[in-house]
Amino acid sequence: MRDIRKARFGLVAALVALAAAACTSGGSPTSNANSNAPQTITWWHNGTAAPLLGIWQQVANDYHAAHPNVTIKVDPIQNEQFTTKVPLALQSNDPPDIFQQWGGGQEATQLQSGKLANLGQFVSPWIGELGKAAQAWQVNGQQYGIPYDLHVVGFWYRKDLFAKAGITTPPTTIPELESDNAKLKAHGIAPIGLGGQAQWPDAFWWEYFAVRECSTSVIQQGMTASNMSAPCFSKATKDLTAFLATNPFEPGFNAVEAQSSPTSSAGMLANGKVAMELQGDWEPGEAKGDTTDKSIDSKLGWFAFPAVPGGQGDPSSVLGGGDGWSCTTGAAEPACAQFLQYIDSTEVQKQLVTQASIGLPANPAAESAITSPAVKAAAQAHDTAAYVAVYFDQALPTNPGLALDAAIANFFAGKGSNSAIINSVSSSSGH
Amino acid sequence: MTVLSAARVRGPADTAARRRAWITRPGTYLVILLVVAITLVPMLYLILSGFRTTGQLGSNPNGLPHPWVWSNYASILESAVFWQAVLNSAIIAVVATALAMVLGSMAAFALSRYTFRGREGLFLLFTAGLLFPLNTAALPLFLMLQKIGMNDNLFGVALPEAAFSLPVTIVILRPFMRAIPGELEDAATVDGATRIRFFVRILLPLARPALITVGILAFVTSWNTYLLPLIVLSTPSHFTLPLAVAMFQSQYSTDTARVFAYTSLSMLPALSIFVFAQRYLVGGLVGAIRG
Amino acid sequence: MARTESTRNRGPGGLAAGPEIISGPAAAGAPPKQRSARRKRIELAILLGPPLILFIGFVFVPMIFAIWYSLYNWNGYGPLSDFIGLQNYQGVLTGPVFHQALLHNIIIAVLSVVIQLPISIGLALLLNRRMRGQTALRLAVFTPYVLSQATSAVMWSMLLSHGGPVDSLLKSAGLAALIHFWLASTSLVLYTLFFVVTWQFIGFGIVLLLAGLQGIPPELREAAAIDGATAWQVTRRIMLPLLGPTIRIWIFLAVIGSLQLFDIVWIMTLGGPANASQTMLTYLYFNGAERTQFGYGATVSVVLFIISFVFALAYQRYALRRDTAGALTRAVG
Repeated sequence: MRDIRKARFGLVAALVALAAAACTSGGSPTSNANSNAPQTITWWHNGTAAPLLGIWQQVANDYHAAHPNVTIKVDPIQNEQFTTKVPLALQSNDPPDIFQQWGGGQEATQLQSGKLANLGQFVSPWIGELGKAAQAWQVNGQQYGIPYDLHVVGFWYRKDLFAKAGITTPPTTIPELESDNAKLKAHGIAPIGLGGQAQWPDAFWWEYFAVRECSTSVIQQGMTASNMSAPCFSKATKDLTAFLATNPFEPGFNAVEAQSSPTSSAGMLANGKVAMELQGDWEPGEAKGDTTDKSIDSKLGWFAFPAVPGGQGDPSSVLGGGDGWSCTTGAAEPACAQFLQYIDSTEVQKQLVTQASIGLPANPAAESAITSPAVKAAAQAHDTAAYVAVYFDQALPTNPGLALDAAIANFFAGKGSNSAIINSVSSSSGH
Repeated sequence: MTVLSAARVRGPADTAARRRAWITRPGTYLVILLVVAITLVPMLYLILSGFRTTGQLGSNPNGLPHPWVWSNYASILESAVFWQAVLNSAIIAVVATALAMVLGSMAAFALSRYTFRGREGLFLLFTAGLLFPLNTAALPLFLMLQKIGMNDNLFGVALPEAAFSLPVTIVILRPFMRAIPGELEDAATVDGATRIRFFVRILLPLARPALITVGILAFVTSWNTYLLPLIVLSTPSHFTLPLAVAMFQSQYSTDTARVFAYTSLSMLPALSIFVFAQRYLVGGLVGAIRG
Repeated sequence: MARTESTRNRGPGGLAAGPEIISGPAAAGAPPKQRSARRKRIELAILLGPPLILFIGFVFVPMIFAIWYSLYNWNGYGPLSDFIGLQNYQGVLTGPVFHQALLHNIIIAVLSVVIQLPISIGLALLLNRRMRGQTALRLAVFTPYVLSQATSAVMWSMLLSHGGPVDSLLKSAGLAALIHFWLASTSLVLYTLFFVVTWQFIGFGIVLLLAGLQGIPPELREAAAIDGATAWQVTRRIMLPLLGPTIRIWIFLAVIGSLQLFDIVWIMTLGGPANASQTMLTYLYFNGAERTQFGYGATVSVVLFIISFVFALAYQRYALRRDTAGALTRAVG
């Protein structure tokens, strides 16, 4: 009698222990055998303001309606706070299940935390639909992140101001751009807006010259090895120096913010104080908020960064990036991957394009929803580009990437040098 | 007349009237006007900008509200998030201030009116805390708070804030407490009071201006602290005001007009406390006098 | 009666006038009872225990950890494994940008004492008088201090933008020649930031100095006036010396604050253009936090700490000693 009771007790105890272990284990993704068990996924996104704020919440609600066992806990986090919160979260024992991921070298660095989930096995059926763009969220060929929108950098220009200065077609080469600048100045219009305070807009210029001067493989190698000693990079600096000598930017550009302020360079474009700006596809949305001109959308046009005579890069190559997500390791990986698939589904992507003005959807099938001709032109350039170079401060790991931005900004302020720029990305420098 | 022997002055004969005249001299008025202009005009810009849209601010940064946009202030005052943030900020600030004042005055008392070995070293230790900005302590503090389970907890913000306010509090309070004559304490002892009682009943009331000062400083510091609540708090319903304002800033744009409206409103509690408390900084004497 | 007089001398204002007055009533009353050493220890434990626990727990311990990080090359991910000893210190101390940053902090500190202090004292003296609108005036001057540095920075960025409100104001006042690139010019930007910092922190000085003035008996002033002193002489010979200890605290806190200047600079200029407004903390934040070199960042904080500590020690010894020297009021044991 006693032995049976002891055995039964032992069995129950063992079962309890096993169940407890299964419930609390943050371990392997396959431990959760019952995929219908209720799950809560925490989601960190940067859409703190309307319309994205409401849209993401809607996406979460809709997904929950379709999958009642999955609850999404939405945590909007202000964009600048990500640099602080993500490393802390990845250090802690309770990171969010999904967080915003911009890919490239930053993602590679985050991988060192050991908390980024390899989504390859979950997304392989559908990741091909996203095309080459998804590669920017791979590290060593493994998919640790998924994009939800893409970005391309190009010239946003005021068609009305161009017309006023007598410019009939946008420039296709740098010399043409320079002569157009002269025409604009002759009519009292500051040609190009630049948000020098933020540093990364300066970097767009230098990087585009590099993309024009250097072949695709040289750039790729440079990013992978954090090494820009190839001569074409120095040529880019030379091109930039010559261009800067023509004084193309608004006065005091060193202190002008790029966005997030009514007196930013985007605001200047919106209010007609400058005729064009080299910026990402978010520019129209940003500009709209900085002006009372309701017709600003129809006044903006887009053209690609002009060709540089003698450059070895393909003139159709573009500088770009995008926004995406990463999942953290744990029991929620499959559910996380499924949710990300939902965000990249054509319906949701079209919703993002039309209601949130995200620019370029990660899912090419949703591009038909783009109505603005200017954004369409940008999307077209992105799709037909020979090479989409991710902005260097994103392609490189964070440390050399930011050092590069700072070195280029110093150069724009007249206090830098080519060697400072080239050497900024080597690991022991930039202090 | 011994009082003045150290401050004996000579000069042309003067009357009290002439002394009063200083205040009415036009020069003084000009100074006051200039000071008020420089301090208040930017604040007015801030407050009035809340009555415009961000688009208006971009199109015409130098203009006045026209038309007056009420929706910024209205929507903020109607939002539960704002009031929740006010409550959170208030709870944290009150706790942090109370702790800093109580513990700070205790420590300042010990460091100013007791002699013991290591006293100056201890004071230097507290002063050292002043030299260590919160920014750099953020990461280890976060990990520590997580270990003791104080993450996402209002007290997890209030306690470190109080701790970081201790150095300033002690540095300010110590000389004020030191200046109170020892004879007062002797007299209190003769009357049968313990030193602690002297501390509570006599010293603290006498040090009131200094206490008010450190209280105001601690409150305002806590009210505006951004980094500490950022790393400690994760649930939006726990957010403080500086964190809540970030909801008007997205990746590519900021609703600056809204931010200005929000900040203008956020200042009101701290300003009210100042108006209330500064009465104790009146020129002249208040306070219990024994004997 | 004697005791009443002595109670009037509370506050640092009472310090200088101390000896003459207390020498009177000291004779009154019996000598203090013998205190047991044990009693004193208990009292000290009660008084110092809780503050110390709070301080050591939340300030000192993280400090020690941060110092520990400075010996490593660590990007915040994974364990602390790349021990590099003093290499970070070498990088910091030989870095030209850090030297620039340090210089900027020193300039701000010096300017604070030379410019902000007289303004604060003047205003405090003014606001100490009972006059109509005293509360309103104090409120006006204090309000910028209540504003968060972040909002202040955003607001002034807009005000100082090229062609913005400040430039427009100057133009309409006929002072267009004074218009400069307030934030874009590498030679001006630091001083523009100093102006914004001054605007923000005047309120702090006012509150502190008012507290100090509170302890100066008006009878002193009146007696001096009866003696034939002008208002200026009263200020110079009585108020300022009695305000001395408070002023010295202000200087101490202002210098430390100058060394730790961060928010306003970061938001308005990011330390630029071209490091022209870099401070030690913006340098720390960019190189330590943003570039995820947490070990390097910790190193900067240690160096900053040492610099501040040296100043604090020297200041304690030469300036503040006078104020807490036992000669004036004795600590009772």
